[in-house]
Amino acid sequence: MLRSEKKSFLRFLLIYLGSTFLLFFISIAVFYHYQKHQILDQQMQSLRSKADTLKSHLRLLHESYESPLAYPEIAGYDSAIYDLERRYIFGTFPSAPSLEHLTDSDDLHYYIAPVEPYYLGAAYLLVAKPVDHAPIQHLQKTIVWFMVIAGIAFSALGIFLGRLFVAPMRESITTMNRFIQDTTHELNTPISTILANIEMLETFGKCKGQELKRIEIASRTLSRIYDDLTYLNLNHRYYRDIRPLDLSALLRDRILYFDNMARAKSIRFDLMIEPGIEIAVDHSDAVRLIDNLIANAVKYNRQNGTVTITLTPEYLRIRDSGIGIAREKIDTIFDRFARGDSAEGGFGIGLHIVRRITEDYRFGLQLESNPNQGTEVTIRWSKES
Amino acid sequence: MVKRVLSIAILFVAAAADDGVSLRENCLACHERQKIPSELIYRRYLATYSLKSKMQQAIVNYLNDPKQQNSIMPLQFFLKFPMKERSTFSTEELRRDTDAFLDHFDIKKKLRHQKDTKVHL
Repeated sequence: MLRSEKKSFLRFLLIYLGSTFLLFFISIAVFYHYQKHQILDQQMQSLRSKADTLKSHLRLLHESYESPLAYPEIAGYDSAIYDLERRYIFGTFPSAPSLEHLTDSDDLHYYIAPVEPYYLGAAYLLVAKPVDHAPIQHLQKTIVWFMVIAGIAFSALGIFLGRLFVAPMRESITTMNRFIQDTTHELNTPISTILANIEMLETFGKCKGQELKRIEIASRTLSRIYDDLTYLNLNHRYYRDIRPLDLSALLRDRILYFDNMARAKSIRFDLMIEPGIEIAVDHSDAVRLIDNLIANAVKYNRQNGTVTITLTPEYLRIRDSGIGIAREKIDTIFDRFARGDSAEGGFGIGLHIVRRITEDYRFGLQLESNPNQGTEVTIRWSKES
Repeated sequence: MVKRVLSIAILFVAAAADDGVSLRENCLACHERQKIPSELIYRRYLATYSLKSKMQQAIVNYLNDPKQQNSIMPLQFFLKFPMKERSTFSTEELRRDTDAFLDHFDIKKKLRHQKDTKVHL
Protein backbone atom coordinates (compact mmCIF):
# COMPACT_ATOMS: atom_id res chain seq x y z
CA MET A 1 0.00 0.00 0.00
CA LEU A 2 1.34 3.45 -0.95
CA ARG A 3 2.01 5.97 1.82
CA SER A 4 -0.75 8.38 0.73
CA GLU A 5 -3.07 5.43 0.26
CA LYS A 6 -2.23 4.15 3.74
CA LYS A 7 -2.84 7.60 5.20
CA SER A 8 -6.25 7.88 3.54
CA PHE A 9 -7.10 4.34 4.60
CA LEU A 10 -6.24 5.05 8.24
CA ARG A 11 -8.14 8.34 8.18
CA PHE A 12 -11.19 6.61 6.77
CA LEU A 13 -10.93 3.86 9.38
CA LEU A 14 -10.58 6.42 12.15
CA ILE A 15 -13.64 8.39 11.03
CA TYR A 16 -15.71 5.31 10.26
CA LEU A 17 -14.85 3.36 13.38
CA GLY A 18 -14.97 6.49 15.57
CA SER A 19 -18.45 7.50 14.45
CA THR A 20 -19.69 3.89 14.43
CA PHE A 21 -18.38 3.14 17.90
CA LEU A 22 -19.69 6.44 19.24
CA LEU A 23 -23.21 5.67 18.00
CA PHE A 24 -22.81 2.07 19.12
CA PHE A 25 -21.73 3.08 22.64
CA ILE A 26 -24.63 5.54 22.95
CA SER A 27 -27.08 2.84 21.84
CA ILE A 28 -25.55 0.29 24.21
CA ALA A 29 -25.60 2.78 27.09
CA VAL A 30 -29.29 3.53 26.50
CA PHE A 31 -30.03 -0.18 26.16
CA TYR A 32 -28.11 -1.02 29.36
CA HIS A 33 -29.80 1.79 31.28
CA TYR A 34 -33.24 0.60 30.13
CA GLN A 35 -32.54 -3.09 30.82
CA LYS A 36 -31.04 -2.40 34.24
CA HIS A 37 -34.09 -0.39 35.24
CA GLN A 38 -36.33 -3.16 33.97
CA ILE A 39 -34.48 -5.71 36.12
CA LEU A 40 -34.71 -3.42 39.17
CA ASP A 41 -38.39 -2.77 38.45
CA GLN A 42 -38.98 -6.52 38.34
CA GLN A 43 -37.32 -6.84 41.73
CA MET A 44 -39.46 -3.96 43.05
CA GLN A 45 -42.51 -5.72 41.66
CA SER A 46 -41.48 -8.80 43.59
CA LEU A 47 -41.35 -6.64 46.76
CA ARG A 48 -44.91 -5.44 46.11
CA SER A 49 -46.05 -9.01 45.58
CA LYS A 50 -44.42 -10.11 48.85
CA ALA A 51 -46.01 -7.15 50.64
CA ASP A 52 -49.44 -8.36 49.51
CA THR A 53 -48.60 -11.86 50.78
CA LEU A 54 -47.47 -10.47 54.12
CA LYS A 55 -50.64 -8.35 54.41
CA SER A 56 -52.82 -11.42 54.00
CA HIS A 57 -50.77 -13.16 56.71
CA LEU A 58 -51.15 -10.13 58.97
CA ARG A 59 -54.93 -10.35 58.50
CA LEU A 60 -54.91 -14.04 59.49
CA LEU A 61 -52.73 -13.25 62.46
CA HIS A 62 -55.00 -10.41 63.49
CA GLU A 63 -57.95 -12.81 63.52
CA SER A 64 -56.03 -15.44 65.45
CA TYR A 65 -56.34 -15.56 69.24
CA GLU A 66 -53.44 -17.89 69.78
CA SER A 67 -50.56 -16.83 71.90
CA PRO A 68 -47.83 -16.22 71.04
CA LEU A 69 -48.47 -14.86 67.52
CA ALA A 70 -45.75 -15.86 65.05
CA TYR A 71 -44.88 -12.84 62.93
CA PRO A 72 -44.96 -13.82 59.18
CA GLU A 73 -41.56 -14.11 57.54
CA ILE A 74 -40.54 -14.76 53.93
CA ALA A 75 -37.08 -16.12 53.22
CA GLY A 76 -34.79 -13.54 51.64
CA TYR A 77 -37.01 -10.62 52.66
CA ASP A 78 -37.11 -8.46 55.77
CA SER A 79 -40.29 -6.76 56.90
CA ALA A 80 -41.61 -4.61 59.71
CA ILE A 81 -44.94 -3.08 60.70
CA TYR A 82 -45.50 0.51 61.90
CA ASP A 83 -48.47 2.20 63.52
CA LEU A 84 -50.32 5.26 62.24
CA GLU A 85 -47.69 7.57 63.73
CA ARG A 86 -44.97 5.53 61.97
CA ARG A 87 -43.71 4.04 65.19
CA TYR A 88 -42.13 0.60 64.94
CA ILE A 89 -44.35 -2.27 66.14
CA PHE A 90 -42.56 -5.44 65.15
CA GLY A 91 -40.36 -6.79 62.37
CA THR A 92 -37.56 -9.05 61.25
CA PHE A 93 -34.87 -6.40 60.75
CA PRO A 94 -31.84 -6.80 63.03
CA SER A 95 -32.41 -3.18 64.12
CA ALA A 96 -35.70 -1.34 63.73
CA PRO A 97 -35.36 1.04 60.75
CA SER A 98 -37.03 4.43 60.86
CA LEU A 99 -39.55 5.03 58.06
CA GLU A 100 -38.53 8.69 57.92
CA HIS A 101 -34.94 8.02 56.92
CA LEU A 102 -35.33 5.29 54.33
CA THR A 103 -33.70 5.73 50.95
CA ASP A 104 -33.18 3.25 48.13
CA SER A 105 -29.57 2.23 47.77
CA ASP A 106 -27.62 0.12 45.28
CA ASP A 107 -27.63 -2.74 47.77
CA LEU A 108 -31.12 -2.72 49.27
CA HIS A 109 -34.65 -2.15 47.92
CA TYR A 110 -37.40 -0.81 50.19
CA TYR A 111 -41.13 -0.81 49.69
CA ILE A 112 -43.62 0.74 52.13
CA ALA A 113 -47.15 -0.55 51.70
CA PRO A 114 -50.11 1.03 53.50
CA VAL A 115 -52.18 -1.44 55.54
CA GLU A 116 -55.94 -0.93 55.75
CA PRO A 117 -57.62 -1.90 58.09
CA TYR A 118 -54.80 -1.68 60.62
CA TYR A 119 -54.24 -5.39 61.20
CA LEU A 120 -52.24 -5.84 64.40
CA GLY A 121 -52.37 -2.03 64.63
CA ALA A 122 -50.12 -1.72 61.57
CA ALA A 123 -50.79 1.23 59.29
CA TYR A 124 -47.61 0.66 57.26
CA LEU A 125 -45.76 -2.44 56.18
CA LEU A 126 -42.12 -2.11 55.25
CA VAL A 127 -40.63 -4.82 53.02
CA ALA A 128 -36.97 -4.87 52.08
CA LYS A 129 -34.72 -7.14 50.08
CA PRO A 130 -31.05 -6.97 49.13
CA VAL A 131 -30.66 -6.06 45.45
CA ASP A 132 -29.99 -9.17 43.37
CA HIS A 133 -26.94 -8.15 41.32
CA ALA A 134 -26.70 -11.46 39.42
CA PRO A 135 -29.04 -10.51 36.51
CA ILE A 136 -27.33 -7.10 36.20
CA GLN A 137 -23.91 -8.76 36.10
CA HIS A 138 -25.24 -11.23 33.52
CA LEU A 139 -26.51 -8.28 31.45
CA GLN A 140 -23.11 -6.56 31.75
CA LYS A 141 -21.32 -9.72 30.61
CA THR A 142 -23.69 -10.15 27.67
CA ILE A 143 -23.17 -6.53 26.63
CA VAL A 144 -19.37 -6.83 26.89
CA TRP A 145 -19.41 -9.97 24.71
CA PHE A 146 -21.76 -8.31 22.25
CA MET A 147 -19.48 -5.25 22.11
CA VAL A 148 -16.41 -7.40 21.52
CA ILE A 149 -18.10 -9.36 18.72
CA ALA A 150 -19.68 -6.23 17.21
CA GLY A 151 -16.34 -4.40 17.53
CA ILE A 152 -14.59 -7.16 15.57
CA ALA A 153 -17.40 -7.18 12.98
CA PHE A 154 -17.35 -3.36 12.65
CA SER A 155 -13.55 -3.35 12.35
CA ALA A 156 -13.65 -6.05 9.65
CA LEU A 157 -16.38 -4.15 7.83
CA GLY A 158 -14.38 -0.93 8.23
CA ILE A 159 -11.26 -2.52 6.72
CA PHE A 160 -13.33 -3.92 3.84
CA LEU A 161 -15.02 -0.55 3.21
CA GLY A 162 -11.71 1.25 3.65
CA ARG A 163 -10.14 -0.85 0.92
CA LEU A 164 -13.12 -0.12 -1.33
CA PHE A 165 -12.78 3.55 -0.43
CA VAL A 166 -9.11 3.78 -1.40
CA ALA A 167 -9.40 1.54 -4.47
CA PRO A 168 -10.24 4.43 -6.89
CA MET A 169 -7.40 6.41 -5.38
CA ARG A 170 -5.03 3.51 -5.95
CA GLU A 171 -6.25 3.26 -9.52
CA SER A 172 -5.74 7.00 -10.04
CA ILE A 173 -2.25 6.88 -8.57
CA THR A 174 -1.34 3.88 -10.73
CA THR A 175 -2.76 5.60 -13.82
CA MET A 176 -0.91 8.80 -12.98
CA ASN A 177 2.36 6.94 -12.47
CA ARG A 178 1.89 5.16 -15.79
CA PHE A 179 1.01 8.45 -17.48
CA ILE A 180 4.19 10.08 -16.18
CA GLN A 181 6.27 7.11 -17.35
CA ASP A 182 4.57 7.20 -20.77
CA THR A 183 5.02 10.96 -21.05
CA THR A 184 8.73 10.81 -20.28
CA HIS A 185 9.12 7.96 -22.75
CA GLU A 186 7.04 9.70 -25.43
CA LEU A 187 9.01 12.91 -25.05
CA ASN A 188 12.33 11.16 -24.83
CA THR A 189 12.09 9.44 -28.25
CA PRO A 190 11.59 12.54 -30.46
CA ILE A 191 13.94 14.66 -28.35
CA SER A 192 16.65 12.02 -28.65
CA THR A 193 16.01 11.83 -32.42
CA ILE A 194 16.32 15.62 -32.76
CA LEU A 195 19.49 15.79 -30.65
CA ALA A 196 21.11 12.82 -32.44
CA ASN A 197 20.42 14.25 -35.90
CA ILE A 198 21.60 17.73 -34.92
CA GLU A 199 24.80 16.12 -33.63
CA MET A 200 25.23 14.29 -36.94
CA LEU A 201 24.78 17.56 -38.80
CA GLU A 202 27.38 19.26 -36.61
CA THR A 203 29.80 16.34 -36.98
CA PHE A 204 29.61 15.85 -40.72
CA GLY A 205 28.88 19.46 -41.59
CA LYS A 206 26.63 18.59 -44.50
CA CYS A 207 23.00 17.70 -44.77
CA LYS A 208 21.73 14.80 -46.87
CA GLY A 209 18.09 15.66 -46.18
CA GLN A 210 17.36 12.54 -44.12
CA GLU A 211 18.52 14.18 -40.94
CA LEU A 212 16.20 17.12 -41.49
CA LYS A 213 13.30 14.75 -42.21
CA ARG A 214 13.96 12.88 -38.96
CA ILE A 215 14.12 16.16 -37.07
CA GLU A 216 10.90 17.23 -38.75
CA ILE A 217 9.12 13.95 -37.81
CA ALA A 218 10.37 14.19 -34.24
CA SER A 219 9.32 17.83 -34.00
CA ARG A 220 5.87 17.08 -35.39
CA THR A 221 5.54 14.23 -32.89
CA LEU A 222 6.45 16.63 -30.08
CA SER A 223 4.02 19.21 -31.44
CA ARG A 224 1.21 16.65 -31.55
CA ILE A 225 1.96 15.49 -28.00
CA TYR A 226 1.87 19.10 -26.87
CA ASP A 227 -1.44 19.71 -28.72
CA ASP A 228 -3.05 16.59 -27.27
CA LEU A 229 -1.94 17.36 -23.73
CA THR A 230 -3.09 20.98 -24.07
CA TYR A 231 -6.42 19.82 -25.45
CA LEU A 232 -6.84 17.36 -22.58
CA ASN A 233 -5.75 19.90 -19.99
CA LEU A 234 -8.11 22.60 -21.29
CA ASN A 235 -10.84 19.98 -21.19
CA HIS A 236 -12.60 21.61 -24.15
CA ARG A 237 -13.11 24.85 -22.28
CA TYR A 238 -11.87 27.15 -24.98
CA TYR A 239 -13.47 29.30 -27.63
CA ARG A 240 -14.62 27.31 -30.65
CA ASP A 241 -15.03 28.95 -33.98
CA ILE A 242 -17.52 26.58 -35.55
CA ARG A 243 -18.15 27.24 -39.23
CA PRO A 244 -18.23 25.21 -42.46
CA LEU A 245 -14.77 23.79 -43.03
CA ASP A 246 -13.45 22.21 -46.17
CA LEU A 247 -12.69 18.85 -44.62
CA SER A 248 -11.37 17.39 -47.91
CA ALA A 249 -8.63 19.98 -48.05
CA LEU A 250 -7.85 19.75 -44.35
CA LEU A 251 -7.66 15.95 -44.53
CA ARG A 252 -5.20 16.07 -47.42
CA ASP A 253 -3.16 18.65 -45.55
CA ARG A 254 -3.01 16.45 -42.41
CA ILE A 255 -2.08 13.35 -44.47
CA LEU A 256 0.81 15.35 -45.86
CA TYR A 257 1.72 16.25 -42.29
CA PHE A 258 2.09 12.55 -41.44
CA ASP A 259 3.72 11.66 -44.74
CA ASN A 260 7.26 11.52 -43.42
CA MET A 261 6.19 9.47 -40.39
CA ALA A 262 4.40 7.00 -42.70
CA ARG A 263 7.36 6.80 -45.03
CA ALA A 264 9.59 5.91 -42.11
CA LYS A 265 7.52 2.70 -41.72
CA SER A 266 6.93 2.35 -45.50
CA ILE A 267 3.23 2.77 -44.98
CA ARG A 268 1.08 3.54 -48.00
CA PHE A 269 -1.95 5.80 -47.90
CA ASP A 270 -4.97 4.74 -49.99
CA LEU A 271 -7.13 7.80 -50.31
CA MET A 272 -10.77 7.98 -51.39
CA ILE A 273 -11.51 11.56 -50.54
CA GLU A 274 -14.43 13.25 -52.25
CA PRO A 275 -13.55 16.87 -52.96
CA GLY A 276 -15.26 19.88 -51.46
CA ILE A 277 -16.91 18.23 -48.45
CA GLU A 278 -17.77 20.88 -45.87
CA ILE A 279 -18.60 20.15 -42.23
CA ALA A 280 -19.45 22.74 -39.54
CA VAL A 281 -16.63 22.26 -37.07
CA ASP A 282 -13.94 24.20 -35.25
CA HIS A 283 -10.61 23.99 -37.08
CA SER A 284 -8.60 22.88 -34.01
CA ASP A 285 -11.13 20.18 -33.16
CA ALA A 286 -11.04 18.87 -36.74
CA VAL A 287 -7.23 18.80 -36.66
CA ARG A 288 -7.20 16.91 -33.31
CA LEU A 289 -9.78 14.45 -34.62
CA ILE A 290 -7.99 13.70 -37.89
CA ASP A 291 -4.46 13.77 -36.43
CA ASN A 292 -5.27 11.28 -33.67
CA LEU A 293 -6.95 8.86 -36.06
CA ILE A 294 -4.14 9.03 -38.65
CA ALA A 295 -1.43 8.94 -35.95
CA ASN A 296 -2.97 5.78 -34.46
CA ALA A 297 -3.34 4.21 -37.91
CA VAL A 298 0.36 4.85 -38.61
CA LYS A 299 1.71 4.09 -35.15
CA TYR A 300 -0.13 0.78 -34.71
CA ASN A 301 0.39 -0.30 -38.32
CA ARG A 302 2.90 -2.83 -39.43
CA GLN A 303 5.91 -2.17 -41.63
CA ASN A 304 4.81 -1.82 -45.31
CA GLY A 305 1.21 -1.59 -44.17
CA THR A 306 -1.58 0.53 -45.63
CA VAL A 307 -3.86 3.22 -44.26
CA THR A 308 -7.11 3.58 -46.16
CA ILE A 309 -8.85 6.90 -45.73
CA THR A 310 -12.36 7.47 -47.06
CA LEU A 311 -14.21 10.76 -46.87
CA THR A 312 -17.78 11.12 -48.11
CA PRO A 313 -20.56 13.60 -47.26
CA GLU A 314 -21.78 10.98 -44.75
CA TYR A 315 -18.65 9.79 -43.00
CA LEU A 316 -14.89 9.70 -42.52
CA ARG A 317 -13.38 6.24 -42.35
CA ILE A 318 -9.77 5.40 -41.54
CA ARG A 319 -8.71 1.80 -41.76
CA ASP A 320 -5.27 0.43 -41.04
CA SER A 321 -3.66 -2.96 -41.57
CA GLY A 322 -2.07 -3.00 -38.15
CA ILE A 323 -2.03 -5.06 -34.99
CA GLY A 324 -5.68 -4.44 -34.12
CA ILE A 325 -7.19 -4.33 -30.66
CA ALA A 326 -7.97 -7.30 -28.47
CA ARG A 327 -11.72 -7.98 -28.30
CA GLU A 328 -11.87 -7.53 -24.50
CA LYS A 329 -10.29 -4.07 -24.75
CA ILE A 330 -12.63 -2.64 -27.38
CA ASP A 331 -15.29 -1.58 -24.84
CA THR A 332 -12.81 0.52 -22.85
CA ILE A 333 -10.53 1.69 -25.64
CA PHE A 334 -12.08 5.18 -25.67
CA ASP A 335 -11.48 5.69 -21.91
CA ARG A 336 -8.81 8.09 -20.85
CA PHE A 337 -5.36 6.45 -20.61
CA ALA A 338 -6.68 3.24 -22.17
CA ARG A 339 -4.25 1.58 -24.54
CA GLY A 340 -4.79 -1.21 -26.99
CA ASP A 341 -1.19 -2.33 -26.90
CA SER A 342 1.35 -1.16 -24.33
CA ALA A 343 4.27 -2.32 -26.49
CA GLU A 344 3.79 0.70 -28.79
CA GLY A 345 4.25 3.91 -26.78
CA GLY A 346 1.53 6.50 -26.36
CA PHE A 347 -0.56 7.94 -23.57
CA GLY A 348 -3.84 6.32 -24.35
CA ILE A 349 -5.49 9.70 -24.78
CA GLY A 350 -5.85 9.79 -28.60
CA LEU A 351 -9.10 7.85 -28.91
CA HIS A 352 -10.37 9.53 -25.74
CA ILE A 353 -9.98 12.90 -27.44
CA VAL A 354 -11.66 11.52 -30.58
CA ARG A 355 -14.67 10.39 -28.54
CA ARG A 356 -14.91 13.70 -26.69
CA ILE A 357 -14.94 15.63 -29.96
CA THR A 358 -17.50 13.35 -31.60
CA GLU A 359 -19.70 13.63 -28.48
CA ASP A 360 -19.40 17.43 -28.48
CA TYR A 361 -20.49 17.60 -32.15
CA ARG A 362 -22.96 14.73 -31.85
CA PHE A 363 -21.10 12.76 -34.53
CA GLY A 364 -21.49 9.01 -34.73
CA LEU A 365 -18.41 7.00 -33.75
CA GLN A 366 -17.88 3.38 -34.63
CA LEU A 367 -14.80 1.18 -34.12
CA GLU A 368 -14.24 -2.26 -35.50
CA SER A 369 -11.06 -4.16 -34.94
CA ASN A 370 -9.62 -7.62 -35.42
CA PRO A 371 -6.32 -8.57 -33.85
CA ASN A 372 -3.50 -8.80 -36.44
CA GLN A 373 -5.85 -7.65 -39.21
CA GLY A 374 -6.37 -4.00 -38.43
CA THR A 375 -8.70 -1.40 -37.04
CA GLU A 376 -11.38 0.62 -38.77
CA VAL A 377 -12.75 3.82 -37.23
CA THR A 378 -15.79 5.47 -38.80
CA ILE A 379 -17.06 8.91 -37.90
CA ARG A 380 -20.50 9.75 -39.24
CA TRP A 381 -21.40 13.40 -39.44
CA SER A 382 -24.90 12.58 -38.33
CA LYS A 383 -25.67 9.91 -35.73
CA GLU A 384 -28.84 8.93 -37.56
CA SER A 385 -27.12 8.16 -40.83
CA MET B 1 -31.42 7.01 100.24
CA VAL B 2 -31.89 3.26 99.74
CA LYS B 3 -35.06 3.41 101.83
CA ARG B 4 -36.46 6.20 99.65
CA VAL B 5 -35.81 4.26 96.47
CA LEU B 6 -37.40 1.13 97.90
CA SER B 7 -40.45 3.10 99.01
CA ILE B 8 -40.96 4.57 95.50
CA ALA B 9 -40.57 1.12 93.91
CA ILE B 10 -43.12 -0.40 96.28
CA LEU B 11 -45.53 2.44 95.49
CA PHE B 12 -45.18 1.79 91.71
CA VAL B 13 -45.71 -1.97 92.13
CA ALA B 14 -48.68 -1.37 94.37
CA ALA B 15 -50.16 1.08 91.85
CA ALA B 16 -49.68 -1.46 89.06
CA ALA B 17 -51.24 -4.17 91.14
CA ASP B 18 -54.05 -1.79 91.94
CA ASP B 19 -54.60 -1.18 88.15
CA GLY B 20 -54.83 -4.94 87.56
CA VAL B 21 -57.32 -5.40 90.36
CA SER B 22 -59.32 -2.39 89.20
CA LEU B 23 -59.45 -3.69 85.60
CA ARG B 24 -60.54 -7.14 86.72
CA GLU B 25 -63.15 -5.82 89.13
CA ASN B 26 -64.42 -2.97 87.00
CA CYS B 27 -64.32 -4.57 83.53
CA LEU B 28 -63.22 -8.11 82.92
CA ALA B 29 -65.21 -9.79 85.68
CA CYS B 30 -68.44 -8.59 84.15
CA HIS B 31 -67.21 -9.30 80.58
CA GLU B 32 -66.35 -12.86 81.53
CA ARG B 33 -69.63 -13.39 83.28
CA GLN B 34 -71.60 -12.18 80.30
CA LYS B 35 -69.20 -13.93 77.83
CA ILE B 36 -68.37 -10.63 76.16
CA PRO B 37 -65.28 -11.25 73.96
CA SER B 38 -62.90 -8.63 75.32
CA GLU B 39 -60.02 -9.53 73.03
CA LEU B 40 -62.28 -9.37 69.97
CA ILE B 41 -63.30 -5.86 71.04
CA TYR B 42 -59.64 -4.95 71.47
CA ARG B 43 -58.70 -6.32 68.01
CA ARG B 44 -61.57 -4.46 66.38
CA TYR B 45 -60.55 -1.18 67.96
CA LEU B 46 -56.93 -1.88 67.09
CA ALA B 47 -57.75 -2.52 63.42
CA THR B 48 -59.75 0.73 63.31
CA TYR B 49 -57.53 3.13 65.24
CA SER B 50 -54.03 1.64 65.20
CA LEU B 51 -52.88 4.00 67.99
CA LYS B 52 -53.41 3.30 71.68
CA SER B 53 -54.30 6.93 72.41
CA LYS B 54 -57.06 6.94 69.77
CA MET B 55 -58.39 3.57 70.92
CA GLN B 56 -58.48 4.79 74.50
CA GLN B 57 -60.28 7.98 73.54
CA ALA B 58 -62.89 6.05 71.52
CA ILE B 59 -63.51 3.53 74.35
CA VAL B 60 -63.75 6.26 77.00
CA ASN B 61 -66.23 8.17 74.81
CA TYR B 62 -68.36 5.03 74.53
CA LEU B 63 -68.19 4.26 78.25
CA ASN B 64 -69.21 7.84 79.10
CA ASP B 65 -72.13 7.66 76.71
CA PRO B 66 -72.81 4.00 75.84
CA LYS B 67 -74.85 3.83 72.65
CA GLN B 68 -74.30 2.11 69.34
CA GLN B 69 -73.40 5.33 67.52
CA ASN B 70 -70.45 5.81 69.87
CA SER B 71 -69.17 2.32 69.28
CA ILE B 72 -67.42 0.69 66.34
CA MET B 73 -68.90 -2.72 67.18
CA PRO B 74 -71.39 -4.04 64.61
CA LEU B 75 -75.17 -4.18 65.15
CA GLN B 76 -75.08 -7.98 65.62
CA PHE B 77 -72.79 -7.46 68.59
CA PHE B 78 -75.40 -5.31 70.33
CA LEU B 79 -78.16 -7.75 69.44
CA LYS B 80 -76.17 -10.55 71.09
CA PHE B 81 -74.83 -8.66 74.11
CA PRO B 82 -76.74 -6.20 76.29
CA MET B 83 -76.01 -2.50 75.86
CA LYS B 84 -73.80 -1.34 78.69
CA GLU B 85 -75.26 0.98 81.29
CA ARG B 86 -73.82 4.46 81.60
CA SER B 87 -70.63 4.29 83.70
CA THR B 88 -70.54 5.78 87.14
CA PHE B 89 -66.74 6.07 87.05
CA SER B 90 -65.02 9.38 86.61
CA THR B 91 -63.24 10.01 83.33
CA GLU B 92 -59.97 9.65 85.19
CA GLU B 93 -60.94 6.20 86.46
CA LEU B 94 -62.15 5.20 83.01
CA ARG B 95 -58.86 6.31 81.47
CA ARG B 96 -56.93 4.29 84.01
CA ASP B 97 -59.04 1.16 83.42
CA THR B 98 -58.99 1.44 79.61
CA ASP B 99 -55.26 1.97 79.77
CA ALA B 100 -54.96 -1.25 81.77
CA PHE B 101 -57.38 -2.98 79.36
CA LEU B 102 -55.30 -2.00 76.33
CA ASP B 103 -52.09 -3.00 78.06
CA HIS B 104 -53.59 -6.33 79.04
CA PHE B 105 -54.44 -7.25 75.46
CA ASP B 106 -51.51 -5.39 73.88
CA ILE B 107 -50.65 -7.31 70.71
CA LYS B 108 -47.00 -6.32 70.84
CA LYS B 109 -46.59 -8.50 73.88
CA LYS B 110 -47.84 -11.52 71.94
CA LEU B 111 -45.82 -11.11 68.74
CA ARG B 112 -42.80 -13.39 68.38
CA HIS B 113 -40.33 -14.27 65.69
CA GLN B 114 -40.95 -17.58 63.92
CA LYS B 115 -37.69 -19.02 65.16
CA ASP B 116 -38.99 -18.46 68.70
CA THR B 117 -42.34 -20.13 68.02
CA LYS B 118 -41.30 -22.90 65.63
CA VAL B 119 -43.96 -21.75 63.18
CA HIS B 120 -42.90 -21.14 59.60
CA LEU B 121 -44.68 -19.78 56.52
